[in-house]
Amino acid sequence: MCPAMRAPPSELRLRCPAQSRYVAPVRRALSAFLQALEFERHSLEDVATAAGEALANIVEHAYANAATDDRYLELRAKLGRHGKLSVDVSDGGSFVERRPLPGRGFGLRIIRAIAAQLTIDTSEGTRIRMMFDSKR
Amino acid sequence: MNESDSIKVIRFSGELEIARKNEIRNALAASEDARAVLLDLAEVTYADSIALTELLRYCITAQREARPVALVIRTPQFARLVQYAGLASAFKIFQDSRDALEYLAECARQ
Repeated sequence: MCPAMRAPPSELRLRCPAQSRYVAPVRRALSAFLQALEFERHSLEDVATAAGEALANIVEHAYANAATDDRYLELRAKLGRHGKLSVDVSDGGSFVERRPLPGRGFGLRIIRAIAAQLTIDTSEGTRIRMMFDSKR
Repeated sequence: MNESDSIKVIRFSGELEIARKNEIRNALAASEDARAVLLDLAEVTYADSIALTELLRYCITAQREARPVALVIRTPQFARLVQYAGLASAFKIFQDSRDALEYLAECARQ
């Protein structure tokens, strides 16, 4: 086998309808991608957890006023040159700033606890970019 | 109080996440007449904040009604999720179901 064929993929892109039944398969695909990149278990689980929170947030909140056909979620994971992993989770819905209420809204708190960096771009739909230090 | 009569055990396994929100809510609601509840989550392989929120709501209601609830969590991902959410003190968590049952029996004696 030539070396190029043995090299793990450096990017993963997935797009599917923004429905709760697609969240777990997308998260599992991300886990498989990270496994191929030889991420250690703890780190892999944490990245998948953070991505899972961002994906679930789309299904729960992003498309309150959109037609069913227009609802999608997208995940893009990419390993950069210096071993930094970026995971973008995006949608075409609208970002609503919510007042924190007791007993809800833990998703972003969990993402912030895991990711080294978090940015939220709401200029066109919503894109959550999470940066992680890869631990392999 | 006879321990086996008074402690209701609810078991979940697999991935506790957004697609199972209603299942979790319904299973918890079905135990609202119990005097003490053991939530056996030892076989849960993954959990998200949606599941965590359902568990928290249930525990808050139970506390208000003086119904002790103990959780058994063994999966490292689940245990870390609780920490990341800042909810470690909101639940009574055990790694072993015998310890959880002992705690609930002790609550019942008080």
